[in-house]
Amino acid sequence: MVKLADLPEYEREHLLSKSEPPLGPPVWQQVKKDISALRIALITTAGLHFRDDPSFDFADATFRPISGSENAANLVMSHSSVNFDKSGFAEDVNLVFPIDRFRELEVANKIGSLADVHYSFMGAGLSPQAYETSALQVASLLKKDQVDAVFLTPV
Amino acid sequence: MQPPRSLWVSFSLGRPLGVPNDVAFQHRVIGAALDLLNAERGPVLEDFPEDAPHIEIDDTPACPVTFARPASNTNTWQAALLAELQTLTPWHDLGKRKRGGRTLVGISGPDVKGNLEKLGQYLDDSKLPISELKWFKAAIEDLKVFYIESLTAQPGSYHPSIIEDIFWLETTLGAALLKMSERFEQDPAIASVTRIIVPRSALEKHKKSIYLKQETEVSNNPWRI
Repeated sequence: MVKLADLPEYEREHLLSKSEPPLGPPVWQQVKKDISALRIALITTAGLHFRDDPSFDFADATFRPISGSENAANLVMSHSSVNFDKSGFAEDVNLVFPIDRFRELEVANKIGSLADVHYSFMGAGLSPQAYETSALQVASLLKKDQVDAVFLTPV
Repeated sequence: MQPPRSLWVSFSLGRPLGVPNDVAFQHRVIGAALDLLNAERGPVLEDFPEDAPHIEIDDTPACPVTFARPASNTNTWQAALLAELQTLTPWHDLGKRKRGGRTLVGISGPDVKGNLEKLGQYLDDSKLPISELKWFKAAIEDLKVFYIESLTAQPGSYHPSIIEDIFWLETTLGAALLKMSERFEQDPAIASVTRIIVPRSALEKHKKSIYLKQETEVSNNPWRI
């Protein structure tokens, strides 16, 4: 495992700066259902959206809904960071947003169901405080969708 | 941040599921993450036991095109960029067909050629696109992804770091963006824009390559004492 001490100084400082309010003490919720009964949503911070949706700005705390019924192969990426590999996503959307893998799990009854709508943020340039409003909105939308668990893929 | 359940993976940043188009590998990552839901107390942080399959650098496909820096008939940035586009376009078309028509190119609006012409014009005029930074950022990301999709059009697997090296150290567009980045850096008021143009890793490699080039020139100098 890579330790903080192994990272370049700029990366270490960047990661340590993320532990800021409104993030409080760790939260914990015991899962009361079997995994095969859970309704699951995907959330990514990769700055994904459909081509007709507005692109993410340089620093942008908004989110984009990704309908579970649309073809994920049409997703594009407008993440403002230049410090991660994008060639893998260009090759396979599931590398970042594994919707086909989760559809396969649903068909195989390994999970209960998939949410109607999934969500995409663009995780760059802002402190956790900036995301509070959007995060609360998404939490409310997930509740309306009866979602039990979220699979988060940061980049 | 301590999210309730986290799976630590050793893959390259930007590849959270590890390996493109490897269904079994991706399922193993997801399965390990879902298993964390069975933990009785948390927060949980567990290692995923597998690394992404190692790709030998020698197995990486050779650069599919020759990226000579501006030739004699392309003595402007704009001409050199458009010449490079002509070389790359068949590879991009091939890659797009391979991916069933999927491409990430096009979020900036104008076409690739239009973006290259405009970028080249800024460089040839020694100006910076300060009044249209939003276009500039979208355009360069579009162009980068056009190049990535072209460079990876060859069959076989490739190492992402090699693609990055080819782009930043061998292509005219890479050189153009490094030049643009240098110009932004010269003005403290807009120097931070460099961070949205060039990755830090590429900037360091570029500086190192300049240093090595200078060292070679010095060591080859017959007058060197």
